[in-house]
Amino acid sequence: MARPLQNSAHMLDRTDTPAALAPAAPAGHRLDMDGIRVRYGQATAVDGVTLSVEPGEILALLGPSGCGKTTLLRTVAGFIRPEAGRVLVDGAPIGHLPPGKRGVGIVFQSYALFPHMSAAENVAYGLEARGRPKAEVIRRVEAALAAVRMEGFAARRPRALSGGQQQRVALARALAIEPAILLLDEPFAALDRALRLDLQLEIKRIQRRFGVTAVLVTHDQDEAMSMADRMAVMRGGRVEQVDAPATVYDSPATPFVAGFVGTSNRLHGRVEAREGADYRVRLDVGASVILASPRGFAVGERVLLCARPEHLALRDATAETPESWPARLRISLPLGPALVHDVEAGATELKLHEARHGQPPAPGPVRVALLPTARPALFPAGDDA
Amino acid sequence: MHRLAPADRPLALLILALAVIALLVLVGPVLIVLLTSFTTSQALRFPPPGLTLRWYAELFDPVRSAQIHKAAGNSLLVAFCTAVLSTAMATGAALAIARSRAGWARLAEGAFLAPLVLPGIAFGLAALMFFSWLRQPPSFALLVMGHAMIAAPFALRTVGASAAGLDPALLESSASLGASPWRTFRRVVLPLIMPGVASGGFLAFISSLDNVPVSLFLSSAETDMLPIRLWGMMETSLDVRVAAASGVLVAVAFLLLLLMDRAVGLVRRMAG
Repeated sequence: MARPLQNSAHMLDRTDTPAALAPAAPAGHRLDMDGIRVRYGQATAVDGVTLSVEPGEILALLGPSGCGKTTLLRTVAGFIRPEAGRVLVDGAPIGHLPPGKRGVGIVFQSYALFPHMSAAENVAYGLEARGRPKAEVIRRVEAALAAVRMEGFAARRPRALSGGQQQRVALARALAIEPAILLLDEPFAALDRALRLDLQLEIKRIQRRFGVTAVLVTHDQDEAMSMADRMAVMRGGRVEQVDAPATVYDSPATPFVAGFVGTSNRLHGRVEAREGADYRVRLDVGASVILASPRGFAVGERVLLCARPEHLALRDATAETPESWPARLRISLPLGPALVHDVEAGATELKLHEARHGQPPAPGPVRVALLPTARPALFPAGDDA
Repeated sequence: MHRLAPADRPLALLILALAVIALLVLVGPVLIVLLTSFTTSQALRFPPPGLTLRWYAELFDPVRSAQIHKAAGNSLLVAFCTAVLSTAMATGAALAIARSRAGWARLAEGAFLAPLVLPGIAFGLAALMFFSWLRQPPSFALLVMGHAMIAAPFALRTVGASAAGLDPALLESSASLGASPWRTFRRVVLPLIMPGVASGGFLAFISSLDNVPVSLFLSSAETDMLPIRLWGMMETSLDVRVAAASGVLVAVAFLLLLLMDRAVGLVRRMAG
């Protein structure tokens, strides 16, 4: 199961666990979702998703509500039987197993702690259901509560715990059964923003220590960015892109991904010419820019340019160049060391993000330029959905 | 408390008057029966000419009131069995209904609640005809079944309210932690719906205890029920022990209510 860490008092003691519990893989288990399709009546919630989660990795399922991410998670958990496709742990199908026999631990959005039991009784629940000897249950409950730093709250009922504390207990309960796979269903949705980052770091630390493979469902791109090793961006029951968070941000696979992960300025244009590996694109706002793209475009093809706020820069209204276009600065917000400009170029609204030097500029006519170093994503205009 | 605007005062007075009337109508008869049970006269009469505990002494006399005691014993036993049976049925039904959004669930709920609006006398007659068609002589078991049908809706209501508040994620959580459905029921569901189950059982017990129409048709000489026996005594002799028995019933019901409130309140605190 998890990587054995001898030096930690916080680890669940597994030196004397039965052979069935002994680590099968040195660093966690592999999870595969293979061609999963789930339908609710006429609506297809998950439409042929194939995803792999490497041992010890956190994969985030990111997408707007109704994109199928929760349905996919519940399919892995065993609460939903897919119409087609398989779920495999370490290459072995688990589709025929009930939820309790899949080696899957779940932290629910509502935490789903048993309100009539103390924190310790909650954590003990799964171990008792598995018929572990009493002494082992007591020892493991202590170890699991210690791992989430809740050992001082063992006797408290969930109601007497804060949201963050409840979440830690829920995590301890899920980890106490030593799951092969940890499923986190929007675990931070019910928490204050200020608390989230601390808990995200903490959960990631604990997940690393246990070496448990995890799937995180979230609609919050920041959460996916900070927690996940890789993220799968979903829309309409399909996966649009699976990559490391930075790759998803820098090279979005679709305009939807570009808009959902991070802020995206959408500029329409037409390919004017091909210059070696680069394209000269005539933007509708009135500029001509040169861009590299891994995709192939025909000359004359309509394209959609998705530029990040930091890809664009403000220029003086009088500094007319072919690769900049006229616009009007509506407002500039100083955010610490940065400036966020709200700009309109005709009907197109743009957001710019620049390092701040001195006071923010006054509203009025300006020009907007694409930075020469910027690598904005370029899509065929038809991809725009 | 917030003060009423002068314009609202007539309305407030009207509501107060209605409340007082309702209280008088509800509590008045009970007080009259209680007072009558202490009367020195030989027959049921109000107001009592003087007060005595004589009728209570007679009521508790094991020889002179043997038949009343037997009927009371029967009634308590039937009420207890009815409470257990109807609460068990209603708990199963309420949990299934709460979990399902399907149309049949609404239909089933309607069917379970139907005895509430069905006239008891009609149900009693129907039950008697049904059981005799099945060639079943009146028996203790049939009596309990009849009572349970009438009492189940009360339990269904209270258990249903508790079950509706049950977070489905708790059941999924329990299942994913490896608990069998039975373990989930015993360790998670039952403790959390206990307030509803307990108050449902209490209501079923009380409704069985003073049920006349079903007992009228389904009881026999062996299963003489207290309300039927009291009614018989009223008809033949205006025996004051009827008032004394009513006094005892009112006192018992009141005590049970207090007890239940304490217990259910306690259970609710434990559950939360």
